[in-house]
Amino acid sequence: MPDFLSRNRGLTALIAVLLAAGATACGSSDGGGGTVNGAGGGSTSASTGPSGGTLVVGAEQEPDCADWIAVCAGNIWGSYTMQVTTLPTAFDTRKQDGRWALVPSDVLAGEPTVEVRGGKQTITYRIAPEAVWSDGTPISSRDFAYTALQIRDGEGIFDKTGYDLIEDVEMPDEKTAVVKLRTTFGPWRSLFGGSYSILPEHLLRGKDRAKIMKDGYSFSGGPWKIEKWQKGNSVTLVPNDRYWGDKPKLDKVVFQFIPDTSAAFQALKSGQVQSLYPTPQVDAISQIKAGIPNTRVEVDAETGNLEALWMNNGRFPLDDEAVRKALAYAVDRKAIVERLYGPLGVSDPEQSFVTPLVGAFAGSDFDVYEPDPARVEQLMTGAGWSRGGDGIWAKDGRKAEMTITSLAGNKRRELTEQILQQQLREAGFALKITNTTPAEIFSKLAPAGDFQLGLWTLIDQYPEPALSASFSSTSIPTKANGNSGINFYRANIPGLDAELRTVDTSTDQATRRAASLRADALIAAAVPSLPIATVPNVLMTNDAIGGPTSINPSEGPWWNLEEWTRGQ
Amino acid sequence: MLRFALRRFAWSVPVVLIASFLLFWAVRATFDPVAKLRQGHDAGAVQREIERLGLDRSIPEQYVLWMKGFLTGDWGTSTRTGGSVSTLVASALWPTLQLMFWGVLLAAFVALAIGVYTAVRQYSAGDYVLSGLAYVGISLPAFWFGLVLIQVVAVWPVQSLGWSEPPFYFVGLHAPGQSGFNLDYLRHLALPLATLTVTLTASWSRFARTSMLDVLSSDYVRTARAKGVPPRAIVLRHALRNALAPFVTIVALDTGVLFGGLIVTEQIYSIPGMGRLFLQSLQAGDVFVLVPWMFVVAIAVVFFNLMADLSYALLDPKVKLR
Repeated sequence: MPDFLSRNRGLTALIAVLLAAGATACGSSDGGGGTVNGAGGGSTSASTGPSGGTLVVGAEQEPDCADWIAVCAGNIWGSYTMQVTTLPTAFDTRKQDGRWALVPSDVLAGEPTVEVRGGKQTITYRIAPEAVWSDGTPISSRDFAYTALQIRDGEGIFDKTGYDLIEDVEMPDEKTAVVKLRTTFGPWRSLFGGSYSILPEHLLRGKDRAKIMKDGYSFSGGPWKIEKWQKGNSVTLVPNDRYWGDKPKLDKVVFQFIPDTSAAFQALKSGQVQSLYPTPQVDAISQIKAGIPNTRVEVDAETGNLEALWMNNGRFPLDDEAVRKALAYAVDRKAIVERLYGPLGVSDPEQSFVTPLVGAFAGSDFDVYEPDPARVEQLMTGAGWSRGGDGIWAKDGRKAEMTITSLAGNKRRELTEQILQQQLREAGFALKITNTTPAEIFSKLAPAGDFQLGLWTLIDQYPEPALSASFSSTSIPTKANGNSGINFYRANIPGLDAELRTVDTSTDQATRRAASLRADALIAAAVPSLPIATVPNVLMTNDAIGGPTSINPSEGPWWNLEEWTRGQ
Repeated sequence: MLRFALRRFAWSVPVVLIASFLLFWAVRATFDPVAKLRQGHDAGAVQREIERLGLDRSIPEQYVLWMKGFLTGDWGTSTRTGGSVSTLVASALWPTLQLMFWGVLLAAFVALAIGVYTAVRQYSAGDYVLSGLAYVGISLPAFWFGLVLIQVVAVWPVQSLGWSEPPFYFVGLHAPGQSGFNLDYLRHLALPLATLTVTLTASWSRFARTSMLDVLSSDYVRTARAKGVPPRAIVLRHALRNALAPFVTIVALDTGVLFGGLIVTEQIYSIPGMGRLFLQSLQAGDVFVLVPWMFVVAIAVVFFNLMADLSYALLDPKVKLR
C-alpha cells in the first residue's frame, strides 16, 4: 500500500485541511463588494502596478500541441498562450490609421523590399542586428530559410498557402534573407507573419521538429519563454532575459485551463484567476451582464470572426436571386445582433464578408439590406411567387420552405436560428431547424451542397483578405478539384473571379484594395449569402492587474503581456 | 477459483474483440479526422492528411492495422495533439483513478454505514431523514450540485465573508507547480469528491439498506436472536457479512462504469482525466484517441464485472464457481 494511504497520515491530512480552511478564513481581504464595470467600448483602462508577481489567467481551451506549423496546432488558444508570447514573426498585427494591418516586427530592420520581374516575386528581408534567440544565437537568414522549407516541404503541415509558391530562399549574409516566389502573391506579408512564426534553425535542423516542439519547447525569440506545460492543468511562462525589446514586468504568467464557462467565472470571482477571455456564448454574456466585482470588461467587435447566414445558391428556392434578396430584406439583422450581443454594447450588424480585422479591404454594401416588407413583396411577386392560404410564398406548386443547419449544442446559434425562424415566418418563408455535428456539416453536407441555409462562422486569422476561398467559382467543391474548395454556397457571380484574383496576386496595396471593394459590391448585389455579425471578443481582468490591456483580434488579448503588471 | 477466473477471462476476450471492431467501425463511420482542415484556405491540406493517415484504406483494413498496433503497444498518434495516444490515455487515467479511488472508498464506507443504520433502525426518525436525503442525493444532477458547491463553499466565503482565498479550490487537482499528496491536493480534491460521492453514496446506501433488511428478516438471524446472541454481533458478524455480497457486486459494477463516466465532474473541476480526454477528442473528431479510449473503458467494464463475480463468490460460500 502506498505510504500516503496509511490511515494515520490520511487522518492527519484531513485534520490539516480543516485547520487550513479555518486559517484561510481569517486572512485579510480586498475582495467582496466593489464596483461592477459594465461592458462596452473595448477601451483600455488599467492602473499601473509594481513589477513582479504572478498572473494567473483562465484559459477556456488547452492548446493541442506547440508545433505551430503542424496540423495538430490548429487551436487558436495555442497561438494566444504560447506562440505569440515566445516566438518571433516578421510581421505583427497592429493598428495603423485606425485599421488592422500587418506591420514589420522588431525582428526586421525595416520594411522588406519587394520586386516583381517576369511574373515572379522576390522579397528581401533584412533582420535586426539585435534580434537573438534565448540562447544568444542571432536570429538569422538561416532561420527564415529553414522555416519556409519546413512548411513548403514538410508532412502534416496545417496550411501551405503562399509557402507552396516558394522557389528558393537565398542567404546572401547572416542578416538578409531573399525569398523567391514562382508567381506574385498579394498577401506576402502573411509569410513569416500570419499564422506562423520563425523557427530556430540551429536547434531544429536535422532533428525531429515535431517531437521537439509539440509538448512545448525551451527556446524563445519573444519576451517570454515556456517554463512548463503541465498537460491538462496549466502553461507557465517566465521572462526571456535575452529578449531585445521591452522586458516583461511580471515574474511569471500561468495559463490555467478551465473549460467550463461557469467554473471559469467562479474562479475569477473567487480570485483563483485574474483574467479571462471567454467566448461570448449566451451563458457567458449572462454572467457578464450580472456583473463581476472588481473586474474590468473590455469588448472589441472588430474581430475576424464573422457569423453569416449561408445560402446554397444551387438549391431551390435559393437558386433564385430574387428569393435571396427577399430574404436579405426580410431579416432584421440589427435585432439579432442586439439580442445576442446587446448586453456587451454591440448592436451593429456586419455589412461585408470581409471581416473588420481586414477592414482596410472592406466595403459596406450590405447596408442597403434593412427590414423592408414592401421590398420582399415586390421582389417575390416580381419573380412569380404568390402567398398561399398559410401565408407562405409558393411558385409552381412548390413552397418557400427551407431548412437551416448549424452546429448542435451552440446556444448562441440556436437562439439566432429561432429569431430567424420567427422573422422569416412573418415575411412568408417557412424555416425548419436541423442542427448537427461540425464533422457532419463540413465533411459531408456542405462539400456535397446538401443544405439550404447554414449558420456558421467565417474566420480571418490575420489582416489579409481571403474571400476567394469562399466566393470564387473555382473554389466550388467539384470532382475536378477533388472536392477541396470551400465555396460551399455554389456562388458563381459574373466578374467576381477576376476581382478576387487581383486581390490575391497583385503586390500593390491600392490596387488590391480597389479590387476588394469592387468584389464586395458585386457580392452584395448578388446576395450569395448574408453577413450577420462579427463575434465580439471579450477580455476580463481583475482591477489589480495593470498595464495597457487590450484585445488584438489576430494575436489575442495577451499580445502585449510583457507590459502587464500586478498590483498588491 | 483460479480456473473460474481464467475461464471468465477467456470468455471476455471475444467480447472485447467484437466490441473493439464495433467501436472502431462506428467511430470511423461517424467522425472525420480531417474535419478541421476543411474550413481552411489550403485546399490541398485535406488530401495530404488523408494519405498521410491512411484514411483512404477500407475500414476493416484500418481496423486490422490499428489492432496490430494496439497489441504491440503502438496505439497511434493523436490528430489533435500530435502526441502518442498511449501516453495521452495513460496521463488521463491517473487523475481519474485518483478520483475513483477516493470516491469509491468514501462512498462505499458512508453508504454501508447509512445502509446498516437505516436497516437496523427501520422506520425510525433517523431512517426517514437519511432515506429522504438519499432520494435527494440520487436526484441531484452532478453539474448543478457541483456548481452550487463551488458557489457556496468556494466563492461565497471570498465574496461575502471577505476571505483572502477560498477554503477549497475547484480548478484541477493541484495548483500550478504543486504535486503529490499534500494540503493543496486535499483542498483541490474535496469538492470534486463531494460531487462524485453524493450520488454514489445515496444510491448505494439504499442498496445496502435493502440488502441488510433482507438478511435481518431471514430465519438464521431470528434463530440467533432467540438464542440470545447480542444485537451488535448479529448485525456485524452474521447479517453484514451476508449483506455485503450483493453490495460489493453493485459497487464493483458501478466502479467499472465510473472509468469513463466522470465526464461532468472532470469538466466542472477542470480535471484532466478520462472524461475530459473523451470530450476533447470528441469535439476534435480525433478518432485515433476515441477508439482506444472506448476500448480501454470497455476492458475496464469487463474487468470489474469479473471482479464482481469473484468477490460475490468470495463473500458468499454458497455460490459455486462454474
